[in-house]
Amino acid sequence: MYRYDEFDAAFVRQRVAQFRGQVERRLSGELTEDEFKPLRLMNGVYLQLHAYMLRIAIPYGTLSSRQMRKLAHIARTYDRGYGHFTTRQNLQFNWPSLKDMPAILDELADVEMHAIQTSGNCIRNVTADHFAGATADEVADPRPYAEIIRQWSSLHPEFSFLPRKFKVAVNAATSDRAAIQVHDIGLQLKRARNGALVFDVYVGGGQGRTPLLAKLIKPDLPEEHLLSYLEAALRVYNLHGRRDNKYKARIKILVHEMGAEAYAREVEAEWLRIRDGALKLPDAEIRRIEAYFAKPAFPRDIAKIKLPPPNRAFDRWVIRNTATHVDANHSIVTISLKPIGGVPGDASADQMDAVADIAERYSYDEVRVSHEQNLVLPHVRKADLPAVYQALKAIGLAEANAGLATDIIACPGLDYCALANARSIPISQRISERLAPKQDVIGDLKIKISGCINACGHHHVGHIGILGVEKRGEEHYQLLLGGSGAEDAALATITGPGFGPDGIVDAVETVVDTYLRLRKGPEETFLAAYARLGLDPFKEALYVAEAA
Amino acid sequence: MSKKPAALSVLTANRLSDGVAVFLDFEGAWSTIFAEASVASNPDEVRALEDRGAYDAQRNIIVEPYLVEVRKIDGTLVPVRQRERVRAAGPSILGDVPGYVAPPAPQPRIREAA
Repeated sequence: MYRYDEFDAAFVRQRVAQFRGQVERRLSGELTEDEFKPLRLMNGVYLQLHAYMLRIAIPYGTLSSRQMRKLAHIARTYDRGYGHFTTRQNLQFNWPSLKDMPAILDELADVEMHAIQTSGNCIRNVTADHFAGATADEVADPRPYAEIIRQWSSLHPEFSFLPRKFKVAVNAATSDRAAIQVHDIGLQLKRARNGALVFDVYVGGGQGRTPLLAKLIKPDLPEEHLLSYLEAALRVYNLHGRRDNKYKARIKILVHEMGAEAYAREVEAEWLRIRDGALKLPDAEIRRIEAYFAKPAFPRDIAKIKLPPPNRAFDRWVIRNTATHVDANHSIVTISLKPIGGVPGDASADQMDAVADIAERYSYDEVRVSHEQNLVLPHVRKADLPAVYQALKAIGLAEANAGLATDIIACPGLDYCALANARSIPISQRISERLAPKQDVIGDLKIKISGCINACGHHHVGHIGILGVEKRGEEHYQLLLGGSGAEDAALATITGPGFGPDGIVDAVETVVDTYLRLRKGPEETFLAAYARLGLDPFKEALYVAEAA
Repeated sequence: MSKKPAALSVLTANRLSDGVAVFLDFEGAWSTIFAEASVASNPDEVRALEDRGAYDAQRNIIVEPYLVEVRKIDGTLVPVRQRERVRAAGPSILGDVPGYVAPPAPQPRIREAA
């Protein structure tokens, strides 16, 4: 794992001390709320519906056991006993007091963590494939590049006041688990014909009120030019991005309005000017950062796997929640934070501590956070799977539903968020309970719920997406079908008129039942069936048959 | 069709020190309990609430004060918008949150500074 160097440690401590003074001055009245608000946001402190919220960065979703234990400690000491893992691989605490924020940030700095750039119009926490460094289907570990971007973008003076927030994701596998095509910049690492590592650079994707898929503007960018090209791309955006209307200020609007080719031309011109300057990455520097992410020394003499007695629950869990590891003796384990009828992405302090213990003992001290609001143990020996399963079962985290209909993404919604129009969590809970009995029959299905147009619940790229809106003061839900955030990225289509809180659960079940009725067989996934059938049979089932 | 009861207003804000949602009560203090909120039923009373919110925000007791439209239904105050109903009652899912530890007791009202 990456360890802070002296510069990292110094700037994080410096920022805590600075923010401590700012909080003191706010509480004493020396700073007004208008003066303080941008300062607290720069440190990840939001004011939400019921209380302050602190968003903590988890760079590329990678945590050590020590860091996870610190999060548990903060949940227990300064919050209300739990935390919420988000769709950008961050962690949010929903109840911290303003007066405690400096102490929390100090505690985070002790374990090389912070909340800087988790808010505001800057380059946010860089995300990556949550199976990075462990999966068999990647060309290289994408996290060294994410770390290089983190170092470049942290406190970058030119990009601290962009027209709007800016999100970067990096993927290096054939499966896109980082949703790169719905990011402001998505980077796909691949091998060129000559064997060199190069990036395909996608720009201008995003969800929100204007969902757009990113455009490929630079194929085959050599790795040494990663930062110079990003600098050029951001500089052109910073220059031309709209600042007069926050709803038109994201880079996706600029790329859409300029046209991808025109935007790419300007970036290219700027890049040619700077590419051989200070930002050109020396190979030695890339390899130095890469060394922090070296794979553990997997033992070659692993004892023969002793199969546990037949156990249907364990078998189901292995089938659903483990993935192929690059090392034949290991597996990647997904820890579902989606118990049936539970709150997506929430974990108690005790669960966090227990996961830290399990990771320390069975996964080379490493945990990942996925953008699907689950946790991942990246390197588990196959021989240890029964023990890991039992340990997870003991803390209520052995739900065998990764990728199934009950593995629902949901933003905090109106239960917490000041921007939300409708609750997301209760809808996800009821859908989970409704679909649980048939989820194995349904197979892979991604349901994603957002409580407002900002789309933190990624509803635009859900196979089934749900958007909460407000209609005459009440909660109302639009239904969307056919989206994907993976390598087959697609934006979902609204089915038609929306539904009330009860109706939306019925509507989702109607869609699922229609799929089950019309699919060619279990091998035809929901997305494949939707691509073949189109929207019409689902609309018919939702609006015509229901009305009859 | 029955006529909806007339809309009334209460004043809400977040407490500066901990961010908790509070409501201006009939004694002029800030309460965490929505049912204790002081209700304005005419423009003068509404203006008085707004003035008090601006004053207390300036004194750094609360932040972001705003009016909430409410109705009295069967003698009980109910916010008109679902958003404000959730804000008044707290998250609807806390019973399902793993490890949730409720705060010890409702926060005391914030009295005016001496």
